[in-house]
Amino acid sequence: MGRYLVGRVLQTVLSMLVVVSIVFVLTRLSGSPIHLLLDVSATERDQEILTRHLGLDRSLPVQYGLYVRNVALGDFGNSILTRRPVTEHILERLPATIELGVVAMLLSVLIGVPLGVYSAVYRGRLLDRAARVFAVLGQSMPTFWLGLMLILFFGVVLGVLPAGGRGGLLHLILPAFTLGYFTSAAILRLTRSAMLEVLGSDYIKFARLQGLPEPLVLWKHGLRNALLPVVTFAVLLFVQFLGGAVVTETVFAWPGLGRLILESITTRDYPIVQAGVLVLSALYLAGNLGVDLLYSYLNPRIRHGGA
Amino acid sequence: MNRPLGLAFFLVALWSLVAPPPGLAAAPEGTLTVAVATFGNERWLPNLYVGAEDVVLKPMYENLLTRDPKTGQLSPLLAERWQMLDGGRTWRFVLRKGVRFHNGDPLTAEDVRATFATVAKEGSANSLAPEFRLIKSMEVENPQTLTVHFDKPSVVFGNKVNQGLFASSAFIQSKRAIEAGDAAERQPVGTGPWKFVEHVRGDRIVYEAVDNHWRATPHFKRLVFLKVPEPATRMAMLRAGSVDVIEIGGEYVEELKKVGVRTLLMPNVSWVYVILGGQWPTKPTYDPKVPWAQPDAERARKVRLALNLAVDKQAIMQRVLGGLGTVVGSWLMYPSDPWATDALKKPYPYDATKAKQLLAEAGYPNGFDVTMNLTAWPGRGYLPDVGEAVATYWEKIGVRVKRRPVDRAIFAADFRARAYSGVTLAFAAPLVAPEPWEVLFRAGYTKAALNLFIEHPKLDEFIDRLAVQPSAAERTRIMRDEFGPWLQEYVPGVAIGAAHAIAGIGPRIGDWPLIPGHMGFHNWEYVTRGR
Repeated sequence: MGRYLVGRVLQTVLSMLVVVSIVFVLTRLSGSPIHLLLDVSATERDQEILTRHLGLDRSLPVQYGLYVRNVALGDFGNSILTRRPVTEHILERLPATIELGVVAMLLSVLIGVPLGVYSAVYRGRLLDRAARVFAVLGQSMPTFWLGLMLILFFGVVLGVLPAGGRGGLLHLILPAFTLGYFTSAAILRLTRSAMLEVLGSDYIKFARLQGLPEPLVLWKHGLRNALLPVVTFAVLLFVQFLGGAVVTETVFAWPGLGRLILESITTRDYPIVQAGVLVLSALYLAGNLGVDLLYSYLNPRIRHGGA
Repeated sequence: MNRPLGLAFFLVALWSLVAPPPGLAAAPEGTLTVAVATFGNERWLPNLYVGAEDVVLKPMYENLLTRDPKTGQLSPLLAERWQMLDGGRTWRFVLRKGVRFHNGDPLTAEDVRATFATVAKEGSANSLAPEFRLIKSMEVENPQTLTVHFDKPSVVFGNKVNQGLFASSAFIQSKRAIEAGDAAERQPVGTGPWKFVEHVRGDRIVYEAVDNHWRATPHFKRLVFLKVPEPATRMAMLRAGSVDVIEIGGEYVEELKKVGVRTLLMPNVSWVYVILGGQWPTKPTYDPKVPWAQPDAERARKVRLALNLAVDKQAIMQRVLGGLGTVVGSWLMYPSDPWATDALKKPYPYDATKAKQLLAEAGYPNGFDVTMNLTAWPGRGYLPDVGEAVATYWEKIGVRVKRRPVDRAIFAADFRARAYSGVTLAFAAPLVAPEPWEVLFRAGYTKAALNLFIEHPKLDEFIDRLAVQPSAAERTRIMRDEFGPWLQEYVPGVAIGAAHAIAGIGPRIGDWPLIPGHMGFHNWEYVTRGR
């Protein structure tokens, strides 16, 4: 187990180094921030001064070497635009992203799991068909469109929920549902198929023959065993939420990390883009690692490389 | 005294006790929330902001002068008096007494000197830096008086220290704050009617009303700017009552009307045209093969005129800009300008047949290849659509147009280096200076550091004359009778016209007096509460 763990951690570190390198090169291929920081009327001398001040006059390999060294020491540098430490910007936005991610995840689990269970139990009946329509809609509706429709209906027509921005709990409902709907549909489908498999197994038949109450059979013996792939999937989705909520954050004017990265790409604020992507990929890789370790703990065949 | 009369006297007496004395405004209350698409670079010191931050900086800062909302003429703001001396080589500003920064420091001439020096310093991002670098020296005569000296006359320097124009970026800041550097960026101070409370980058900027401000105590207690990049969300937030004012493009005007949202028109705020890149024969990037910039001046002009006649400007104004603007044929002139005569206002006609004929006469009977950059600029998201529409019209006369969506950061580099010969681009110039030659001083004057898209000895000659002419009346005459007609005849690019801007406003907003021609929101302190 120890050897497996070390191997996976090394793989994760290597993956992050690759991510850092790719982001470093790609951001610099897309234009210089100098042209956005200065007015078009700025002279070449102004450009030279700012380029030197920001350290962009050094060769790319030197910039890269310095960057990797500083990151290894925990220093992500300063924002090109605000000259404030990048860590400050990330920490400023991370709570909003986590808040949205957690609530969206909770919503999708609370919607997806029960619907998935009932859909499996009442397979082929009206409830199952309705749940499947719900799932298909959730996975096919663009987040952008759904978000706007929800804003129009609940914010404008009914006037019961805020149309955008971050504030109290009410502000969270629409963006969290928009973000969580897609996932709840995926969780519903996964739960349904896992439950169908479990419900056909011998131990469930045995439990029923023993005369156990149906809710106990379903929720304790059935769901417990069907939940493992669902939990794995949910963990990875949650990590994806943290960085992949750009569209939802933009539509709802939610000041999260995804939007910060997107805006920093627009302004070529390299240090923020690099740090943001690094943080998200670290979370993703850590999530992946956690799931792998969990699996290997639960299923010894995986850590031994067996089938 | 009968009973009703007595009661009336009693009520009047009671009212006189509780009502505020005349001239004293009611205390600020409530929050005015505004959703805008961008905050610009979100920097606060004079050498760090570019000018696009105008909307979010203006509540907190003030300039020396402003423009009269009725006449557009210079009028006092932080300077109560000013003089242009020695034919424009010297400007003297006498500051208003009793004005204080939000940190309690009194405003002095030293603060003004420090601000001007910071705007001009090397590496400054401020869009006014080139103009302020022309200052030879500054003298603080006493705490209220600053004299600014130039080598050459600077007859429109008053327009550079003016609150009443877009990108009025010479906001006066405290010397102490400027010297504090980064600390001042976290807690900026100005002299304006709103003081800084909070800034969450990319999300919100919060201001609070300054009680008993020397000029105007705001009607609202708080002013909150929210950054909401998505226009549909801004509209929904306004309709839901989450915000009171939204920035919105003309392309949404019909939708706003349909849903009954109240709008505020800001007329003649930018000049829309298509830049024809490459008209710089003395520069290393000049390409003589570019049809509109070729050495044969007459043939080049025919091409430029053909590219104008091929385009139905009125249709673009109606369909792309939502009818918010006026098609005009003169250059960088607004219909309301004193130098805009009827002849100059007359647009180039839409005549595709004549355009084809001109192309044939210029030696291009089968058209030519051209690149149209489709680049969006902050606050002017409609520009790629204008470029697309123009490209479609050009194709009808045989010009083969390659559309190239380009990010602003990429194009800005080409723009500065004049590395876009043969490339065209729809652009909208905000009204950053009232006189058109002032804009061309940056964009088309070979003796300036810039000279971005056109050069011509005649243009230099006009700018040489206008830049040293201290008489505003004489400058108006030159622009009306000589400069305007020459530009119209020369056809530097494809003129679309003067565009208006609109804002969506909610029921909590009452009156909102704006300075004509000022692009972007301003005068928040004068916005009254709706009933």
